[in-house]
Amino acid sequence: MKTAGRVLAAKIRSIKESKAFGIRSSELPTWCPGCGYFGIHQGLNACIQELGLPHHQVVTVSGIGCAGRSPFFIDTYGLHTVHGRTLPVATGVKLANPKLTVFAIGGDGDGLAIGGGHLPHVARRDVNINYLLFDNSIYGLTKGQPSPSSPTGTKTKASPYGTHDRPLNATLLALTYGASFVARLFAGDPAGIKRALMEGTRHPGFAIFHIYTSCVTFDKFFKTWANLKKWVHPLPEDHDPSDLRQAFDQVLEDEFSTGIVYSRKYPLPGVS
Amino acid sequence: MPKVDVTVEVCGMAGDGTIAAGGLINEAMASGGFSVLGFDSYPAEIRGFGRCVARSRIGSEPILALGDQTHVLISLNDEQSGVRVPFLAYNALVFFDSNPPVYLNEKQSVAAAVEPGMTLIGIPFSDLATSASGSARGRNLTALGGFAAVCGAAPELFRNMITKKFKAKGEKVLESNLKSFDAGYYYALSNLSDRMRPLFALPEQSDVAGRLIMSGNEAIGKAALDAGVLLYFGYPITPATPIMEYLAKHLPTRGGAVIQMEDEISSIGAVLGSFYAGTRAMTATSGPGFALMTELITHGVMAEIPAVILNAQRGGPSTGLPTKTEQSDLHAAVFGGPGDSARIVIAPTNVEECYYYTVMGFQLAERYQTPVIVLTDFYLDNRVEDLPVPEASEWEKADGNLYPAADSKGTYKRYAVNESGISPRAIPGAEGFAYTATGLEHTERGTPDYSPENHMLMTEKRYRKIWGALADLPAPVEFSARGSMDLGVIGWGSTFGAILEAVDTARSLGYRVGALKITSIYPYHVQEIKDFMSRCHQVLVPELNYSGQLANVIGHLCGKELIRLNQVTGVPFSPSAILARIERILKAGAL
Repeated sequence: MKTAGRVLAAKIRSIKESKAFGIRSSELPTWCPGCGYFGIHQGLNACIQELGLPHHQVVTVSGIGCAGRSPFFIDTYGLHTVHGRTLPVATGVKLANPKLTVFAIGGDGDGLAIGGGHLPHVARRDVNINYLLFDNSIYGLTKGQPSPSSPTGTKTKASPYGTHDRPLNATLLALTYGASFVARLFAGDPAGIKRALMEGTRHPGFAIFHIYTSCVTFDKFFKTWANLKKWVHPLPEDHDPSDLRQAFDQVLEDEFSTGIVYSRKYPLPGVS
Repeated sequence: MPKVDVTVEVCGMAGDGTIAAGGLINEAMASGGFSVLGFDSYPAEIRGFGRCVARSRIGSEPILALGDQTHVLISLNDEQSGVRVPFLAYNALVFFDSNPPVYLNEKQSVAAAVEPGMTLIGIPFSDLATSASGSARGRNLTALGGFAAVCGAAPELFRNMITKKFKAKGEKVLESNLKSFDAGYYYALSNLSDRMRPLFALPEQSDVAGRLIMSGNEAIGKAALDAGVLLYFGYPITPATPIMEYLAKHLPTRGGAVIQMEDEISSIGAVLGSFYAGTRAMTATSGPGFALMTELITHGVMAEIPAVILNAQRGGPSTGLPTKTEQSDLHAAVFGGPGDSARIVIAPTNVEECYYYTVMGFQLAERYQTPVIVLTDFYLDNRVEDLPVPEASEWEKADGNLYPAADSKGTYKRYAVNESGISPRAIPGAEGFAYTATGLEHTERGTPDYSPENHMLMTEKRYRKIWGALADLPAPVEFSARGSMDLGVIGWGSTFGAILEAVDTARSLGYRVGALKITSIYPYHVQEIKDFMSRCHQVLVPELNYSGQLANVIGHLCGKELIRLNQVTGVPFSPSAILARIERILKAGAL
C-alpha cells in the first residue's frame, strides 16, 4: 500500500508539473468511462500547453455528437455549432482573425455523413485550421447506429440484418481532396496525438487528424480497444510524408498504420 | 417645363445587346437630370432562346414604380417584340430594323402588328452599323442613335455613357461603338424629319451633382463596404450573385475577401464564425439558398451570434422561377427553421433603402447579437434608380458590439439574463473571458442546461431582446391625409412604390385612401400598425405572393378581415392593377 501511495503521489506530481490540467475547464467531461475521447483530449490539451498557445487565442469549434461536446471541457474560446457544419464555421473564425489557432472537432457521422460535403472544399482552400476527426465508426450520442465508416455487415438496432454499404476511409479521402497535412492517429496514444497535433498546428495550411477511437458503450464488435490495440501500429520508418504516391500506397495497403501520412507546404495558399 | 413621364422599352433576343442598350438609356437619361427606374427581364437561358426586355420609366418627377404602358418600343428582334405590342400606349413610337439581319416574312415584322395610332420608325440598324463600324454587332447602339434623334434626347448624354462603358475595352472598340451610335443618330436626323417627337426636353436646371444611378444589388454591395464588411461568403444564385461580384472586385483592395463556398449552408456557417470572432461578414442568397441556411440561422439565434443575410426573393425551389420576382419568403424569413427562433427581419422598398437597410443590418446584428435578414427581391435587386449619393451615418457604421467590462474577468457570464436581454459578448482573443458559444440550451455561463425553468428563462430572454430592437427599427411610414379613411393600403418591399403611386392617383381622384409602408417585418410596430388600421374602414394588403404572407403576420392586429391582393405572375405589380382594386373596393362600398 505504501508503494502504491508513493506511485500515485509521484503520478499526481508529474501531471501537475506537466500543466496538463491547466487547460481543463471547470466542466467535467460527459463521456462514458473508458471512452477514447479522453485520450484525444489529453493529446490536444498537451499540444496547446506545450506549444505555449495563450488559451484566449485558441478557439475550438465543434459540431454535434459526443465529440461535439469537447469545447465545454477545455479552457479556450469555444463554438459549439450544429450537426456537420464544423468546418465552414471554423473557416469563418480563422479568416476573421488569423491570429487565432483554430481546432475543429467532429466525429465520423458529423464529418463524413452530414458534413461530408465540406471536407473537400476546406482542403482545397487550404485554410489554416486543424481538424480532429474522431472516428469510432458508430453514432454514439444517438445510441448506436451505423456510421459512414462502419464496416459492411454492421449490425445495430437500425441495421438488424447488417449494413450493405461499404465504409469510407477518411485518410484516403483527405489525400484525394488534396489536404496539405494528413495524419492518422490512435486515441490510445495521447503522446502520438500530441506530437502530430503540434506539427500540424505549425503547418501553415489545412491539417486533418484522422483519429481511430473506441466507443465502449455501443461498439462491442469492431473498434473495441482490444481490436484497435491489435491492429494499430506506426507507419514504416522509411515512410516519406512528402511523397503523395507513397502516402496513397501506404493508406491503400494498410488501414491501420498511424503517424503523419502526408505533409506538403504550398508556397502561396489561397487564403491563410 | 412640361412634365415628362415616358416608358421606353428595348426588346430583343438574348444576345442582341438588349440589356446593354437599356442600361445606356437609364444612365444617359439620369445624367440629364431625369428620374429613372429601369428593370430588365430576361430568360434563364444564357443565349439564343428567350426574349429580353429592358424597360425604363423616365420622368421629371420622382419615379416610384414601373409604368403600365410603354410609350416607346425599340425592337431589336421583331419576332420577340410582336408580343409586346398590346402593352404599348395607343400613340406609341415603334423603332424597328427596316432591313433585319435575319429574314422575316411580313407577318413576323413588328410593322404588321402595330395599331393604327402608333408611329412606325424603320431604320436599317444592321446595315448602318455595318457600314459605320464594319460589324452589325453595334446595331443596338445604332437603334439608340435613332431613338435619341427622334425623341429629342441629347446625343451627348449617350456618347458620354458609351465612352464610360467602353473606355476600358480599348480605343478601337470605343470608336466603333460611337460610330454605330452616330450612324443611327444622323440617319434619323436626315431621313426622318417628319417623325420627330421631342419627348425629352431636358430639365432646364438639371442638377445631377451628388446624384447617381445604381441597382439594388450595387446599393447593397456599397452598403456592405461602407459598413466595414471584410468577408463575404456566398454561393452563386440569381438574383443575388451581382452582390458577390461587386464585392469580389472591391473587398480585396481593402484587405478583405470574397470566398465562394460550396453551398449556402457553409456560407452562413462561415458568416457566423466570422462575427463570432469579431469581424463583420455577410452572405446574400435567394429563397432556395435561404432554405438551406435556416438551421444555422436558428443556431445564431440560440447562440446569440450576429449575422447579416440578404435574401433576394424569387419563386420556389432552385428549379422554381429562377429569373422572376416574388415576395414569397416572408414566412421563411420570419418563422423558418427549427424551434422558437425570433430574429430581426427588415425589408427595404427602393434602391436607396437597399443601401441604408443593409448598413443598418450590421448595426442591428451586433447590437442585438442575432442574425438579421434583409429581404429584397428580384425586382428590387435588379432595378436601377437614380438617387442621392448614399452615405451611412456614423451611428449606422459604428461598432454595435457590447463588450464585457474589464472588471468582470473571472465572473464573466456570456449569457447573463437581464432586462434588455442583451448580454456583453466577449470576442476570442480577449484574455480572461473565454466561453463556449452554443446552440444547446445553456446557462448564463454558456454551459449546457435544458432544465424546464432554464429553457423558459432563456427563451424569454431572447424574445425580449428581439422585441427590444423595435427601439432602433424604423417605424411604419404613413402616406395619407390625417383622420379616418375609407381604405388603407399596407405594403412592403419592392411592391410599395406601385402601391404609393396607385394611392396617390386614387387620392387625386377624390378617394379617401392612405398608404402605410412597413419596413420592419419582425419585430413589427404593433401600436403604429393598429392605429393606422383603426382609422381605416377597410384595409388592403397587396403582395407578390399567393398566401398573403405579410397579411398573415399582421392580420391579427386589425380586428376586421384584411382584403388581400395577391399576384404571382413573376412580374411586379403595375400601379393600375392596384388602383383598379382600390376603386372596385370603394365603389362596392358606396353601393
